[in-house]
Order: sequence, then structure tokens, then C-alpha cells
Amino acid sequence: MEDRNKTVPKGFERRPDEKHSVSRDDLKRAVAQTVNFRPGRGGPGRGPAEIEKAENVKGTARRMLQYFSGARKQLAGLILSVVAVTLLSLAAPAMQGSAIDSIKAHDWPQLYRCAALLLGIFVVNVGANLAQLLLSARLSQGVVRRMRHDLFKKIDNLPIPYLDTHSNGDIMSRMTNDVENVSNTIFQSLGSLVSGVLTLVGTVTIMFLYCWQLTLVTMISVILTVLVTKKMSGVMRKIYRKRSALLGELNGHSEEMITGYRSIVAYNKQRDVTAEFEKTSDTLAKVSVKAEILGGSMGPIMNCISNIGFVIVAAFGGYFAYTGLITIGTISAFIVYAKQFSRPINEIAQLYGSIQTAVAGAERVFTLMDHPDEDNSGDKTLRDTKGEISFRHVNFSYIPGKQVLYDFNLDVKPGQKIALVGATGSGKTTVVNLLMRFYPLDSGELLIDGVNINEIRRDELRRSTAIVLQDTFLFSDTIGGNIKYADRDASDERMKNAAKMSNIARYIERQPDGYDTYLSHAGESLSHGQRQLLAIARAVLADPKILILDEATSSVDTRTEKKIQDAMVNLMKNRTSVIIAHRLSTVRDADRIVVMDHGRVVETGSHEELLAQQGVYYALYQTQFEGKAI
Amino acid sequence: MLKYLKKYWLFCILAPLFMVGEVSMDLWQPDLMAKIVDQGVLQSDFSLIVRVGVQMILCVLAGGTFGVVCGVFANIAAQGFGNDLRKDLFGHIMSLSFEQTDRFSTGSLITRLSNDVTQVQNMVGLAIRGLVRNGVMFFGGVFMLWRQSPRFALVAACGMPFLIGLIVFFLRKASPLFRIVQEKLDGVNHVMQEDVAGARVVKAYVKEAYELGRFDRANDALCRENLRVQTLLSFIGPGMNIIMNLCVVGVILVGGVTVKKGGGLTPGSIMAAITYLTQILGGFGFMAMIFQSFTRAKASAERINEVLASEPSLADGANEQPETARGTVEFRDVSFAYPGTTQNVLEHIDLTVRQGETLAVIGATGSGKSTLIDLIPRFYDATSGTVLVNGRDVRDYSLDALRDKISIVMQRAELYSRSLEENIRWGAPDARPEQIKAAAQVAQADDYICEKEYGYYTPVSEGGHSLSGGQKQRVSVARAILKPHEILIFDDATSALDLRTEAALYRALNERDPDSTKIIIAQRIASIRNADRIIVLDNGRIAAVGTHDSLMETSDIYRDIFLSQQKEGGAA
Repeated sequence: MEDRNKTVPKGFERRPDEKHSVSRDDLKRAVAQTVNFRPGRGGPGRGPAEIEKAENVKGTARRMLQYFSGARKQLAGLILSVVAVTLLSLAAPAMQGSAIDSIKAHDWPQLYRCAALLLGIFVVNVGANLAQLLLSARLSQGVVRRMRHDLFKKIDNLPIPYLDTHSNGDIMSRMTNDVENVSNTIFQSLGSLVSGVLTLVGTVTIMFLYCWQLTLVTMISVILTVLVTKKMSGVMRKIYRKRSALLGELNGHSEEMITGYRSIVAYNKQRDVTAEFEKTSDTLAKVSVKAEILGGSMGPIMNCISNIGFVIVAAFGGYFAYTGLITIGTISAFIVYAKQFSRPINEIAQLYGSIQTAVAGAERVFTLMDHPDEDNSGDKTLRDTKGEISFRHVNFSYIPGKQVLYDFNLDVKPGQKIALVGATGSGKTTVVNLLMRFYPLDSGELLIDGVNINEIRRDELRRSTAIVLQDTFLFSDTIGGNIKYADRDASDERMKNAAKMSNIARYIERQPDGYDTYLSHAGESLSHGQRQLLAIARAVLADPKILILDEATSSVDTRTEKKIQDAMVNLMKNRTSVIIAHRLSTVRDADRIVVMDHGRVVETGSHEELLAQQGVYYALYQTQFEGKAI
Repeated sequence: MLKYLKKYWLFCILAPLFMVGEVSMDLWQPDLMAKIVDQGVLQSDFSLIVRVGVQMILCVLAGGTFGVVCGVFANIAAQGFGNDLRKDLFGHIMSLSFEQTDRFSTGSLITRLSNDVTQVQNMVGLAIRGLVRNGVMFFGGVFMLWRQSPRFALVAACGMPFLIGLIVFFLRKASPLFRIVQEKLDGVNHVMQEDVAGARVVKAYVKEAYELGRFDRANDALCRENLRVQTLLSFIGPGMNIIMNLCVVGVILVGGVTVKKGGGLTPGSIMAAITYLTQILGGFGFMAMIFQSFTRAKASAERINEVLASEPSLADGANEQPETARGTVEFRDVSFAYPGTTQNVLEHIDLTVRQGETLAVIGATGSGKSTLIDLIPRFYDATSGTVLVNGRDVRDYSLDALRDKISIVMQRAELYSRSLEENIRWGAPDARPEQIKAAAQVAQADDYICEKEYGYYTPVSEGGHSLSGGQKQRVSVARAILKPHEILIFDDATSALDLRTEAALYRALNERDPDSTKIIIAQRIASIRNADRIIVLDNGRIAAVGTHDSLMETSDIYRDIFLSQQKEGGAA
């Protein structure tokens, strides 16, 4: 770079890569290193599947088989019908051949016999074929249903640290791409694999029985087919991979730009963004044309080879018939067999790739299923929680070596309202993560009513605690359904009370459908403030012993917030609440305010006490209320 | 939609021509074969076998070449068509107004751009090649069969109605199910997506079992529908087979009987007839399948057309009125209701913002603050009344010229997956590192950026998820400051910052950029207390205007807001 000698402003010294611009891969890599432990991250999903190598084919296959264990009869029926279809397809050309021979020989009774037999073979064949299709549809849906169930159950029980460090897109794609892939492959490929191998073996055997000389001649086209398939699939894999990478890039780009549309308009960037899109789109089109031409040529080329094989059979067959080695009917049968012969070879070559991809997909599904569940130890119940919380010498880090909490001590008496304040990154949200047992402590103890939380039943612990998070998450359900999330059987009266207390009742009642208003797209139509109010109503209805509000009113105006606080005074009388906020008006009422800085408690006391101390809190307070802003 | 194919008309004509070549070669072959069998093998004429064999190989090679060339042309046309359509659609989406994108919803626009375009593109490719190939195969096959013997053609004609009936019956039954399956699939993915994104909520409320039940219901429904479709479709293949096979038996019998009666048929021609028959019926089945996917592609094409047909509702203004006052914004009796609703979000707003003034807007959630400023860069048009920028109606500007004057920081910081530095110079592509750094310093982002390993070159993940809320807000503030502007708008843009940082940000902003007109929406009075003027919005109306001190005296609402943030606070 030519400007090495010039002074570079601080922060501009290092690039992730020596290339001039950051590539998408670099982005992904670097993003993975700077994971941020906040809920609600999404990540780029994987692009369309391409051929991958599986690590442990045997183990994965064995586990796949377990999914069939409940359907042994169906599986046996399936295999039986595949075998029947294959054998009958082998018998049909032979019968056809003898029919033609009998025409030539003017042996009419023989012709009718052959025709009747042929008819019988066809009917049974079609029946078996139908049975095969129906059975495989039933089996595949059954297996997929159970696999999805198992996978979802696992996902629901994954520990939060796993979810925080893996992209949502990646987890989702195991459900959508991988499971689907596995099922499709099993039932489309397995049947054709079995029948392909059978056909191959059967055809060769019959051909040898008819005339081994002609069979050897036929092999020429087989060898040609294998060679060409191998050569072409190598080239095609490369170009298909390139295309799916480009397609992923294009889709990623358009998704991002359409989602972030407002800023693009505000910055007048529509033309630049469109130009960028067009560039990628053009490249994609060019690569696609190449890929499709290659892929499309496969058909004509194979057609060519199989027809050349046909001519060879006809020529040599004619010669052999001329020398009296075989009959015309044999040639007719051979022509059909030669065609039947190249088809399974083509198929098996293609299947090999898709089966590998499927096994790799199954492996990814099983890897996720093998991830340990969330820690479920602890058997003590919390019948009559008082809501006393104590942190004793707690140390914690998300990534080893990057400590977030240092010797953290905090005692909250039952019924107290305690507030945590401090700059971003001071460790406030971490306290919530630990209290809910989302993350395990490094060292120290966390007690509720004097009992270590690791000894308390996890569901009891969480049921007695309600949290409202800054990034509000609502379900695509009715407003009422969202409020009643903790207790679906709650009475409408309780629901309305909760809404009233959260100061959202008036808004809801103004909606034409009231509490039955459906929130599509997880409540995208609501403002952020309204979403927060709904989340608070949900927590209120849960009727918790401990209520944790993590920046729960950051987007609610202060007057509304004040109304909620007033309404909650009664509710929270005998309950413990932990409030995290940077808006000091939110926390001023707290019985005790804990000021945190870089993972340590630096000050603690009531609002008045802290003001009197004239320390960190006092300074914060001054900037907020002395109007040092604009 | 067809106009996108116009550019490729030559390829659209050439591809089928070559396809006809390929298929003719395919159709010629059985004839040659019959010749080999009847004249070569039966007459023991070996030299004829070789001669016709060579002919046949040449014919096959020519057919293969035609096929490949046809593929080249067809793909150039189909991919070019898809590419043009995709680019046009994207460009069109970018020209839509917020009202229109809101109506389509971003998710559906993304699907239209990716899935629907691919569907239509595949259809075009399929039509150019498959339809022609199978059509020629069908009619050519019929012709050749007729040439072998009209009786054979009669056998094929008998099979045809059954084939048509079969395909029509099952496809008609299955078509509506495809849509249902898609819906059920969306249902499964939806539960899944909610549970991954909302894992903390599910866990905090101990709802794992409930969610599993919800998922199982969606999953069972999907599997049930899938099974129904697959069961139906399972009948098509074997059904077509049996009809085809019956015809084969028919040909053999008819052939046999004809030979018996001394008709001029040979074993070779019977063999050729069987080959033609399979070609005819196979080609016909394929055509039916193509028509089936045609209906699906038609739905996609309609969804694309819907977007393409929606004229950008905000057109550039053509009126060359002069600008009279730099850096001013004026609302003249402006009312606004979101399109499709009747309830006014803003009512009779009259307001003038002077050049260099700092105007603050405060008010409850839902009082219309964001809507008010959305009218200035013409994200929406006022329902009644006029908005003027620099003394000129915003509708008289070209959109570019208007938006070039305004820099806006939105409530939700939208960042893109590129480096921090590229994100900041989003509105000023040619900015030098020093300028980028200076803007970041004003936005109080420089410190934390410099702490990162790659500093300003640190990549941002999609949607900025790798940054905290406060960090995102600061980057988007830096981005807005760096973009050249006359008017700077902050829509609750510093809500995630702690107070000290926020105060430092505004101080630095005033030092660096004293001349811009600033409109600032905020929740905290402390953030806006020193603004030149503060307006209090309440239910879409301006409830009060004034400085902090005057509002404290005259406005109940303002005092109420103040008290809610202040309460017994001793510093008031």
C-alpha cells in the first residue's frame, strides 16, 4: 500500500485482510470472533447444500436406522416391492423379445401366450411400483416427523450459551435444509439405489445368459458412460459450488438491503445499491449459463453414448444373428437391456453425491442432538419463595480470560426493589443471565432464600422469576395470547388487569379486535415502546416472586413509565424486584441502587445516600438533570 | 413479463430450431434400426448393417451436437431473462415509497426477488427446451408411427384419452394441496424461528413443554398434508406406466395379427413402433408436467408483476421553484394519516424551524414524533397541508435533491455487513480516514472502535448484531454527521447511550456543526433541555412550544414529563 509512510489515523492501521476491501468470508470469520452475548442475534444461514464429506458414515447410518425401527414391516414391504419391480422390469424385455420372435416364426399361439404373460408382468409391476411409492411416502413422512420432533425438543433444551454463540440461521437450517435433505434422499435415492444395483446385476446376468459375446460388446458403452460421468461431474461440482456461493451472496445482499431499506432511502443510496446488486446479478447469470449448459449437456451426451451403444449392439447383433448365434428377438431384448443398463449407472453416479450430502446433513442434525441439554440438576423446590437473593464472591466470564464480573457481592432482602446502574459493558445484564441460570458461574455462589440456585429445580427457579428484556420478544399470536404466555388458562380478568397495570390496556381496547388483535411478524406493527409495555404485562401476569426488568422501559416515555411504576407499587409489595436502567428516573425509587463499573460494584446505597457521597452516581445524576446535554 | 424475453428473441428462436434438429435425429433412429433388422439382419446383408450403422452414429452425433447447442441458446435466453427481470425488480423495489414497501412487507419482497424470479426463470428455460422437445417428440412420434402403420397410431390414440384423464384428474386434486403444504411448512418454520429467537423468553417462562406441543401440532399437520400430496402423486407414474404398457401389448398383438393376415408388417417395424410409442406417451406426460409447473410459475409471475406494476407513489417534483431560505423547515397546517387508515396521526401542525436552530420534539409513545419528521425527507406525503424545506414545497424537489440536504438518524440503527469504516462513509463515499475518524469522535464512537483489533476495518455482522445497541446508535450518528447536510434529524437516536456519553456527543456536535438546522426527538428532558425551542407533541397535535424555562411555566404536560424524570430530585 502506497500510503504506508503517511501517518494513518488511529484505528485505521490494521485491516482484517491485506486485500483492499473486506470479503464476505472475512466478515463471517471476524464476526464469529466478536460475538456479543445478547439475545436475538440472527446470523447468515448456510447457502444451498453442495456435496460434502461426512465424518462418520457408519455411526450416522446406524442412528438413521434407529428411526426405522418402529416401521420394520413397512420397510420390509418397501424392499420387497423394490425387488419385485426390478425383477419384473428385467423380465418384461425378454418376454417382448420372445413375442417378436414368435411373430417372425408365425407361431400364433405362442404370440398370444407371450402377450398374456407380458400383460400380467406389466400389471404386477405397476402394482408393486405403486406399493413402493406409497410405502416410501408413508415411511419418509414418519421418519421426518420423528426427526423434527426430536430435533425441536433438543433445540428447546439447548443451553443459552450455545444459542448465544451459534447463529440462528445455522440452527434453523438443520431443521429446514438438513432434515428435509435427509428424508428426500432416503426415499428418492434408497429405492433407486436398491433397484439400480439389482437392475445392473440382473441385466448383466440375463445378457450373459443370452449371449456373452454381445454382452462384452455392450460393455464398451458402459465404460464410456462411467468415464464421461466422472469427468463431467468433477467440472460441474466446481461450477455449481461457485454458483451457489454467488447465489448466497446475492440473496444475502438483497435481503439486507430490503430490510435496511429506510436508511438506503434516507441516504439516497438506491442507485449505488442497485448497481451493486446488478453487478453480482450479472456475474451470477454468467456463471449460471455456464453451469446450466454443462448440466444440460449431460443429457444429450449420455443420449449419444447410449445410442452409439445401441448401434454397436445392432451391428454386432446383426452379425451374430447372421452367423446364427442369436435370434432377432434377442437383439430386440438386448436393445432394451442396453438402455436399462446405462440408466442405473448414471443414476448411481448421481446418487453417490446426494447420498453423501444427506449423510453429512444427518450428521449435522445428530451433532446438534448430541449437544448436552441445559443443566437440569437440583431437586429442591421453592414452595414459598421469599425472594431473597445473594451473590457471594461471584466471578464470571463468557469467554475464558475475559472476565466480566469480579468478586461480585450483592444481597437483596425479600420484597426489596434494587436497581443496577452503570455504563454499557459494566456487567448488568450478566447478573440477570446468572440469576436465571442461563449461564453457570465460574466461581462463588448465588443463593435464593439461602439455597444455592444450582440445587433448586430449574423450572421452579424460573417459574418464580419473571424477566423483561430490552430486546422485547413477542410471539405471532393475539395480544391476549402474548399476555397470557405464562399461564394460558389465566382468566380474561387477570389479563386485563395485567394490561392495565402496564398502561397498555387503553391502546389494546382501541384496536378493533381488542385483545384478539393478531400480532403478525412478532408484533412488528407495534412501536418499540408498545412492545415493551406488552412484555411487562406478560411478566405481571406470570405473578412472579422475583421480577427482573432489564432496560424494560427504555423506549417508553417517562410519564408512562411513571404510571407503570405507581401501578406496580402494590403488586410488588411482597416481591423482590431487580431493575436495570441507565435512565436514572427509572431507578431513583429503588430501595437500593448498585452502581457497577467494569464488573465490580463501585457504589451502593439509596438515591439520597449516593447523592450525598458525591461519587460516580452523583456525577451521572448531574449530567442527567443538570441539562449538560444540548 | 414477456417483454423481458424480447432482447433474446434470436436465442428463443434458435434454441427450439436446434431442438427440432435433435429430436428429429432421435426420431429417425428407430427407423434406421428397423432397416438394420429387416433388411440387414433378416436378409443377412452385412454390408447394409455397417452402412446404416455408420449413418446411425452420424445421426446420433449430430443429434447430440444439436442438443448441446440448443442448451447453450436456451440457457442464454432463460438466464438472461431471469437476470434482467431480477435487476429490474430490485431497482423497482428500491424506488418504492415506504408506504408501498410497508404494504408488501419486506419478507414478501425478498421472496418475490429470490424464489419467484427463479420460478419464472426456470419456467422459461423449461418452456424453450422441454415444451418444444416433448412437443416435437410427440407429434413426430405420431407421424413416424403412422408411417410404420396407421393401425399402430390407432393403438396410441386409444391410450391417449386415458392418459389425459389420469393426469388431469390427479393434478387437479393435487394442485390445491401444494399451497396447503407450503402453508404448513411455513407454520413449522415459524414456530422454530420463534423459539430460536425467543429462547430466553421460552426458558424464563418454563414453556418448553408447551412449545414442543405447539411444534408437534404444526409438524403433524405438515406431515399429514405432505403424505396426502405424495400419495396422490404416487398414482401418476404407475398409472402412466400401465397405460403405456397396455399400448405396447396392443402394438404387439395388432402387429402379430397383421402379420398373420399377411399385412406388410415386419418384426423390425413392430420393434420400431414400440420405441415410437414410448416416445409419444413419454413426451405427452412431460408436457402435462410442464403445464402443471406453468400454473405455479404463473402465480409467481403475478406476484412479480404486482410489484413491477406499482408505480412509485412518490414522484420527483418538476416544479423549479427557487429555494428561498437555506436550512429551514416549515409545516403548514399539516395533517397525516397512514395510507389505508382513517385515524389522523398528525393534526393541523403549523411549525417553522429556522436555519441553525436546534428544535427538540418530546412527547409520549405514539404521539406522532417519528411521523412528523418522516414527512420532511418525504418518506411519506402529508395527507393535507404542505411541508416546505428551504421555503420550497418538498413535492417540488426531485427526491434526490431533497434528501441530499437532510441527514437523518433513525430510531432503529440499520447497519450493513461491511466494515465500520464503510458503514460510516455510507453517505459520503469519498471521505478520507481523517474525516471518518472526526465524525466518529463527535459521535463518541472513536474510543470503542479504536479498541477493536481491526479498528475501523472491523466488520459488522448482518443487521449489526455484533454490536451493542449503544454502539450501533453511535455508528449511525457518525454516519449521519459525515454525510453532507443542511438539516440534521435525530429520531430518538441516542436512547441507548448512557447520559455522560450522550452529553459529550451533543456538546461535540454543537462545536463541530453549529450551522446545521437540527431537529432532535428525545425521551429525556436532560437531552434537550438547552435546545433553542422545544415542542411538546400530544396525540398528534402541538400541545406547546417554547424553551425549557417557558414550557416549565406554561405547559402542564411538559412539567409533568419533567417531574416524571425529576420527581423529588434536588437539582431541579
